[in-house]
Amino acid sequence: MADTTPRKRTLAPWMGLLLTVLGALSNGLPFIGFPAAPVPWIGLLLSLIGFVVVLLGLWRVFGQSTVYRGKLSGSIAAAFSFLFLAAAMLYFWGARHIPAESTAAPQVGQRVPDFTLPDSTGHSVSLTQLFSGSAGKEPPKGLLLVFYRGYW
Amino acid sequence: MPVAISVDAPEVSENLRRKRGYTFPFLSDPKVDLIRRYELLHPRGSPDGTDISRPAEFLIDRSGTVRWENFTEDIRVRPRADELLAGAHVIR
Repeated sequence: MADTTPRKRTLAPWMGLLLTVLGALSNGLPFIGFPAAPVPWIGLLLSLIGFVVVLLGLWRVFGQSTVYRGKLSGSIAAAFSFLFLAAAMLYFWGARHIPAESTAAPQVGQRVPDFTLPDSTGHSVSLTQLFSGSAGKEPPKGLLLVFYRGYW
Repeated sequence: MPVAISVDAPEVSENLRRKRGYTFPFLSDPKVDLIRRYELLHPRGSPDGTDISRPAEFLIDRSGTVRWENFTEDIRVRPRADELLAGAHVIR
């Protein structure tokens, strides 16, 4: 006797895919002016949870195929989800892939030698000049040298 | 006073400075001379494979002495304002 009960759909693969995509995209938030991620692993965690949800969906459509349908769509969602998980992992690794300790960098208590570099108008500026203050401005008590990766 | 330093050309820095409305100076070190001297070089660190600086902050007093510094282990994590202010208190 053929089983005539209609098989259920499962949203798990698609919900999981959505989570992995959100997780991967959350890495781009700092680029749209959002403050740097307070918890940098949140994107990776979100993608991992999403992938687990996708696997649950696959287990439903393949393991319980008498109850759930959607083998093809589930597989497609899983493939995309895997890609976004890989992207999230790659980005997580890349963000932390910076040189080891800068042991030769100036240490607290050390004096830094004077230097001269062009400013954003192309004029050369030295550390001493920066400390002497510009016209109409009080000389600064301190300078915060902020080295950054660049705007590209 | 903050001083921003990167490998960006002056025009690029000026563009960023204007866009964000910053009034502090931006210095250019395209040949990574100073960045190398501070041992902050991140070889081929930019997406197009050029040498850049790793993110780092140094608070320097009038005598030129480093009073506070910070290196990050994750490029998305930078010092928070309260951490910077705590550093600034040491030279008040």
